[in-house]
Amino acid sequence: MKFFFVIKQTFSNLWRERTPVVATILTICIALTILVALFEISFVLYDQLRDLESNMMVEVYLDPSATDSQVKVIQSELERYPTIERLRFVSKETAAAIFNEEFGENIMDILDENPLPVSFEVRLLREFNHSEYLALFKTQVESLKGVDEVHYRHALIEKLEKVTEAVAIAGIFVLIILVFAMNLLIRNTIKLSVYAKRRQIDIMKILGAGNLLIRMPYILEGAIEGFIGGFLSAICLIFAHKFIAGSFALVEIGTSTYKVLWVLTISFGILIGFLTSATSVGRFVNKIFAKK
Amino acid sequence: MIQFRQVTVNYGYVPGALKDINLQMHDGDFTLILGPTGSGKSTLLRLIYMDILPSSGVVTVDKWSSFRISPRQINRLRRNIGVVFQDFKLIDNMSVFDNVALPLVIEGYRRKYIRKLVHVLLDEVNLLQSKDQRASTLSLGEKQRVAIARAMAKNPFVVIADEPTGNLDREASKNVLSLLERINRNGTSVIMATHDYELIKETPYKRIYMENGEVLPGDRTINIPNKRINILANKE
Repeated sequence: MKFFFVIKQTFSNLWRERTPVVATILTICIALTILVALFEISFVLYDQLRDLESNMMVEVYLDPSATDSQVKVIQSELERYPTIERLRFVSKETAAAIFNEEFGENIMDILDENPLPVSFEVRLLREFNHSEYLALFKTQVESLKGVDEVHYRHALIEKLEKVTEAVAIAGIFVLIILVFAMNLLIRNTIKLSVYAKRRQIDIMKILGAGNLLIRMPYILEGAIEGFIGGFLSAICLIFAHKFIAGSFALVEIGTSTYKVLWVLTISFGILIGFLTSATSVGRFVNKIFAKK
Repeated sequence: MIQFRQVTVNYGYVPGALKDINLQMHDGDFTLILGPTGSGKSTLLRLIYMDILPSSGVVTVDKWSSFRISPRQINRLRRNIGVVFQDFKLIDNMSVFDNVALPLVIEGYRRKYIRKLVHVLLDEVNLLQSKDQRASTLSLGEKQRVAIARAMAKNPFVVIADEPTGNLDREASKNVLSLLERINRNGTSVIMATHDYELIKETPYKRIYMENGEVLPGDRTINIPNKRINILANKE
């Protein structure tokens, strides 16, 4: 019977304070949608960065005057690097063939000679494909005798790293603000509910009701607001995926990702609603009745 | 048994809401607490259901003592006491049935038992036909009868009534008093605070007269409009 009473009281609270309840639910929905969207953008950027990094080649161009023995020394020096996953020697002829493949023209026909330098194509191990190590590698290898230049797309990598980092920082910042806003609104709704039902709480106290029975409807109220907010947020996100991201082919997500979205937004919504109301209702009840 | 030993209550910086009260109320008694507004009647009653605790001295209610009592024990004490107020303290947006059922819900009784008992209680106070009505739609007299039914729901050892007839007309007041008398005849102690001397003048119950936070000793004659009655005339 206590269970039915708690359920009845919870829904009565939700109905009685429907305006702040709707505001809270919408805030939770918007906050969760922005949060998850930000995390998704972070993941997409991070994935692209990883993709780019793992496919990235470092080219070690040799001095045109480098002798065969110097080339061998450079190769053996490079082979000693434990951070290198693959090393490939590109002769002048191979370079010309690549040029031909990429541009559809023979370089000899254009310039009458092959100016392309001898080089090594280096693929680093995935975990060393970041700008910090690449800069160190470039300095070390360029100091070898017979090496003209070490080249990689450092500008793009650095830019992508900075964007990913900025999105992650913005995500954390927005997370803090939104969690704070959700917290504030849920607390406010609970406070209004407690205040509106102060007479009932007083009567229940006189009749000997324990703290749990008095507080449980308000705790459940917060959890339900979180649940509905999370549910709506999942709908918004799936809608956004289908009609916005899908058309720009930004993110491709499958049914399993939808399931993750449902679980993620709803459970996070319930968690924040439950925790906020559970930690605030006792304080509000005590505060209101301390004034008696 | 309810006992007050050298009980003093101070509200914040206002001293002397109650001053050195020594009282004893026995099981099965019908006790009237009389006195003008502000004399300390309600404070005395609030001490019994431990809505407040004494600033000094000890209140003992059955097996519970104010000297050392936890919030949990206060809840347990209150579940064994019925309280009736001047303003009824009903939950207006609940039905008559739900109001009477509330103490039983708090105790965690089963739905079937609650339904049965609440029907009996509402029948006792002649309100069975109004069980589905919202409490807010009842007349004042009916509200007080609902409050009495609620107070009786847990078969308490004592019913405390704080000015239960304060808002009622003569007829409704008589009804409430006779309900309380019936409860007392069944063995439950009743402690009723009132300043409706006209209502209780013919009753044979023990009287405690209070003034300025003190219990006045001995026989006492009080003035009421057009009459002079001896309120302690029927003291046991």
